[in-house]
Amino acid sequence: MSDILIDDRIRDWVFLPIIIVMFMIQMFRGLLTKYMDNRKTAQKVTSKAQVAEMIDKNITQQSQRLARLHGLLPDQSFKMKRAYLCDHEQGILTKASQKPAKDPMQSMSMMNPVAMADMLKQNLSGIVFMALQYQWVSYFFSGFVIGKVPFPLTQKFRTMLQRGVDVQNLDVRYISSISIYFVLLFGGLQKIQQLMFGDDTDEFVDDTQMQMQMQMMGMPTMPSFGQQNDPGKLFIAERTRLEGVKHTFELNKSSDKALKSLKRFLIQ
Amino acid sequence: MEEPKVELDDLEVNQDRLKQNTIQLKNVRVYGSLNAGVIAGILGMDGWIGIGIYVAIFFIVSTCLAIKMNFKVKEYFKSSYDAYYSGIGTDLLLFLMIWVIFHNLVNIL
Repeated sequence: MSDILIDDRIRDWVFLPIIIVMFMIQMFRGLLTKYMDNRKTAQKVTSKAQVAEMIDKNITQQSQRLARLHGLLPDQSFKMKRAYLCDHEQGILTKASQKPAKDPMQSMSMMNPVAMADMLKQNLSGIVFMALQYQWVSYFFSGFVIGKVPFPLTQKFRTMLQRGVDVQNLDVRYISSISIYFVLLFGGLQKIQQLMFGDDTDEFVDDTQMQMQMQMMGMPTMPSFGQQNDPGKLFIAERTRLEGVKHTFELNKSSDKALKSLKRFLIQ
Repeated sequence: MEEPKVELDDLEVNQDRLKQNTIQLKNVRVYGSLNAGVIAGILGMDGWIGIGIYVAIFFIVSTCLAIKMNFKVKEYFKSSYDAYYSGIGTDLLLFLMIWVIFHNLVNIL
């Protein structure tokens, strides 16, 4: 099939506006999350269940830190700390792992108003905008071909890429406007935005991908509530890890290391 | 690049410097894939040749990185795999997006 000529006005009034609008909505979302984060006040740990959870979390953090940084401690200190955690009867980890597995906490965590507010905010800044954009694009710009993808695709993609265009035998390369929306969505306007607007060192998480994964998994997982159903296993795993640690005090090796780096420095 | 010297023995003394290095690496790679997309789109490359341009520019970026580090990868990153090869899939979508946009703007519309 010969090349299709596409009107100039499609470029002016469809292609560029979609890109510009999506980019601006992306920036707006960034500002919105920043604003909401600034307004978040410190959460008071009120309920007993939350206190117990914080204790568990702190215990795991302590044992993980010990497993990671054991080289900084001399032998006696390390053994004391490990015994505090892992002792057969009195160690904290053994006590914690003997607690009964909690019931599915979904109902209880739903009643927690702070967590619900957090979830609503996340939803608002993510999924609502996505749905809005999809509706906007598919309402205004459906029914015509907008461009061409440069690479060959199989027929399977035809329904996704040519929604609204009912011409059979049209080359799968010609795409409708909703596919431009998808390309922009997955392609990561976020990265460009990060490049242009900020070296925020804590912007490592890209939340659209994470939220879409969460939606695809089907159940609403909340990041602040860890593994509710089996904390015992977690503690047992931590305990076996700690007991398997081979401890050497780094200070013993330090004179060798100093010699090595001095040699390397002098040779250069 | 940011300051060098990441010490990685068993103690895992990763400082903030490793984090800053990886941020810079990510930025450089995004620039690289943006440029690759613009080149592939404007020149009207088709299909697999375009993806080849992306891979080629990715490796050019890695080579420039290596030259700037004086080939001593261990001082700046955890491993040479991390610094040179690891991010090739994540920026591919970005390249595709820019490629589609520029290809349409320049050649078709």
